[in-house]
Parts: sequence; C-alpha cells; structure tokens
Amino acid sequence: MKDENASPKSAGVWTMIFTDVHFWVPAMVLLAGLVVLHWIR
Amino acid sequence: MESSAAKMISPSVESARLRKLQLVGILCGFGAGAWLGAAEAPTKLVKLGVSPLVVSLLMVVGVFLARWSLPALIRGTGQMRADIRQAPHLIVWGILAGCLWAVANTLTIFAIRDIGLSIAFPLWNINSLLGIFWGYLLFNELRDAGKLRWLTVLGGALLMFAGATLLAVASSAQSPAEHPLRGILAALGAGVLWGTMYVPYRKAYLTGMNPLSFIAFFTIGELGMMLTLALAYGGGPDALFHQLELATPVLFWLMLGGFVWVIGDLFQQYAAKYIGISRGIPLSNTNQLWGLLWGILVFGELRGLSTSLYAQVIGGSLLMAAGAGAIALSSVTSKEHARWKQAADREGQRYGVDSEYVQAALSGNDASKPNGLTSTKSTRTWLDWLLVIAATTIFVTLAVLARAPKMALNWPALAALAAAMLVFLFTCGIALWKTTRFN
Repeated sequence: MKDENASPKSAGVWTMIFTDVHFWVPAMVLLAGLVVLHWIR
Repeated sequence: MESSAAKMISPSVESARLRKLQLVGILCGFGAGAWLGAAEAPTKLVKLGVSPLVVSLLMVVGVFLARWSLPALIRGTGQMRADIRQAPHLIVWGILAGCLWAVANTLTIFAIRDIGLSIAFPLWNINSLLGIFWGYLLFNELRDAGKLRWLTVLGGALLMFAGATLLAVASSAQSPAEHPLRGILAALGAGVLWGTMYVPYRKAYLTGMNPLSFIAFFTIGELGMMLTLALAYGGGPDALFHQLELATPVLFWLMLGGFVWVIGDLFQQYAAKYIGISRGIPLSNTNQLWGLLWGILVFGELRGLSTSLYAQVIGGSLLMAAGAGAIALSSVTSKEHARWKQAADREGQRYGVDSEYVQAALSGNDASKPNGLTSTKSTRTWLDWLLVIAATTIFVTLAVLARAPKMALNWPALAALAAAMLVFLFTCGIALWKTTRFN
C-alpha cells in the first residue's frame, strides 16, 4: 500500500537538513578545502 | 523532554555512570592518540615515488575495508540498520564527514611533501582549538562548566599547541622546507577541515548514533571523494590505474596505515561521544607525541642533533603531555552535562528521533531496548562474516604480494611501540565492553 505521507515527510527532512547550521558549517569548510587543494596541488 | 527511563535513574546512579563514561572517554582519547600517531608512518612512502593522491586513495581503501569489517565483527550490521532507522538524516552527516576527512588527508600528504612531517603535524593539530570553538558554539559544550574547567581545557589545548610548536621548531632542523607557503597552507587547511569534521561526529553522537554505525557511512563519503580527487587530479582512469600498478609493492603498507588509522579513529569517536569534542580532540592529538616516537625511535629521525635541540624536543613533549593531562582532569560537571542533554533534546525534537533512544545512547546503554523497536541481539549474520572474511582475504593477499620498503628500521623499537599500541587496544576495548557493551 502506498504511503501518501512518505514524500512530504521526506521533503520535510531535507528542508530540516538544508536549514541546519550544522550542515552548512562543514559543507562550506569542505568547499573551501577543495579550493585550497585545487590551488596547491 | 525527559524520558521515562531516564527519570527512573536516581541522580547518584546517574552521576556514577557519568563518571565511568568520562573515564572510558579519557582512556579512549589517549588510545586514539597512540593509534593515530602510528598511522602516519606509511605516508613516508610518498618519498618513494608514489603520487600523494594514490597514497591517500590507498589509505582510504584500507580504511573502507576496516570500517565495514570491524563493526561487522564487533556488533553486526543488523545493529547498524537499527541505528539508521532511528536517525536516517545522519547518513548525510556521515558522508559529509567522510568527504572532509578525504580532502584533509590529501592536504596533509601535500603538506608533508612540502614542509615535512615535523612542521606539518603541529600545524594541522590546531584542529583541537577549532574543536573547542565548535563544541562550545554548536553543542553547548563547556557551557555552565565553571571558570576552572574553561581554564584547564583551553589552557591545556594552548599548552599542547605550544609544545607542538616547540617540537616543530626542533625537528624542522632536519627537514628544510621545499615550498613553505604551499605546505603551510595545506597543513592549516587540513587542521581546519579536521577540526570541522568533528561537527558531524558530535551531532551524530548527541542524537544517539553508535560510532560503529556512523563510521560505516563516513567511509562512503570518504572513498567517493578520494576516488573523485584521484581521478580529477591524477590524469584520469588510465593514469590512475598505471599509478596503482606502480604502487603494487607498497599497497599493503598503505592500506595497513588506513587500517591502523581506523582503530585510532574509532577510539577518537568514542572519546568525542563520552567527553565531547572540546576534550576528546586535544587528547587524541597526543598522536603527535606518538608520531615523534615512531620518527625518532623507528625511523632514526633527528639523529645527531645538538643537545639544545634534544632539550627542545623533550620540553615540547612535556608541554604536550602536561596539556593533555590538564584536559584529562577537567571532568564534565553535572551542570554541563545537563546542557549537553539540552543540545541532544534539541536535535531529537528537530528530526523526530525517539527521546528514549537519544537518552539511552547518551548514557552508553543499549539504545534499542527501551521501546523494543529493534532487536537487542548482537549476533552476527552470514553478511557480517562475509565482510570479515573478504577484508581479511584482501589484506592477506596484499601482504603476500608486499615488499618491505627499503628503509633502515629499528625493529626492537618498532616491536616495543607495537606492544604499547596493543596494550591501549585491549585496555580501551575491555573498558568500552565492560561499561557500554560498545553501545
């Protein structure tokens, strides 16, 4: 039986993740690290 | 939002439990230092003509094998699935942390190549200061801890940093920098990435995830990112394959380095879980002392230096040890622990994680028991044994193909350090088992 709540719930989790400072801090640091690596290699 | 299970525990029992968990966390922090310090030794192979990217990739393959087989052996993959059902959003943070590790590790290899291990090591160990900052800012660590705790943690971390700098100055006498600016930037970058990598760690453990489950997802990000970097910067699949062929004789040593690193990291993760990142990271940063011991005793580094330089090495080591001691003695007060619980509740409410699961895991108890959502059996399935057998077979095969690197090694010193690592392995393992059953 199809769970009609599945998609909205899943979308809600992604919204939570993308509005979480705990996600953006490491994500931005990762991006900066990739830039440094590209420059120094 | 206090759970019914937590309410039933009397304050004295809870405080005794807290003290036990802190002792286990401190022990794991020191164990992590010993194992992580030993894992740096294989990076010396970079000078033998293997590309830094391939060195990093091969270490990550070793890490990948260890990180899927060790949890399967200790706890079984069934427990891992139960953890993910409770907090599926943490997969994102596991992968993110793995990506951070892969980029940081690659940066360290460039740093070692450009400025030498002895200067690079203390520079990337600034991660402990960053860990204290993130722990305070994002996870309520050291809040309501009192001035004395602040003084010991921050003072201890600064002592360790001063000691690390002294060691760097002393040991740089033998390793002149080839590209100082590039190397320093790479080492500092690695420190920032590693310091920030503990944000996902702490988030996962506050929410109740078991370190053995988290690291399994960590490896997916780690291997994926490392493979992407190796392909992008290594000249494509053909060039990478050619480099891997060249590296065949040292494959085993690099993957063994990854395996050793995993054990150290596992202890580091338990330390982060039970004493927080503001205390756990500085303790695991005693890896620099162990790295130095390996360098001096096993690889014969710093041989023939002046007495004043040896005095600097000893002074730097003592400073680092004093800093680690201060942090180890800075226990978490019940007030501070209450702030940790607030942060944990905030996480649980935001992502709808069962509060009993969160509280049980914070106390190192079996998080699957309170509501009966998951099986409490930790028996291994055929899949777990398959993972263990496959990883063992790969390591044994590579060991047969391996050739000993042409380096002068002090074998008695190597045996003594390996014995010390085993002592830490058994002591930490038994303490974790007795106190938490690896929960």
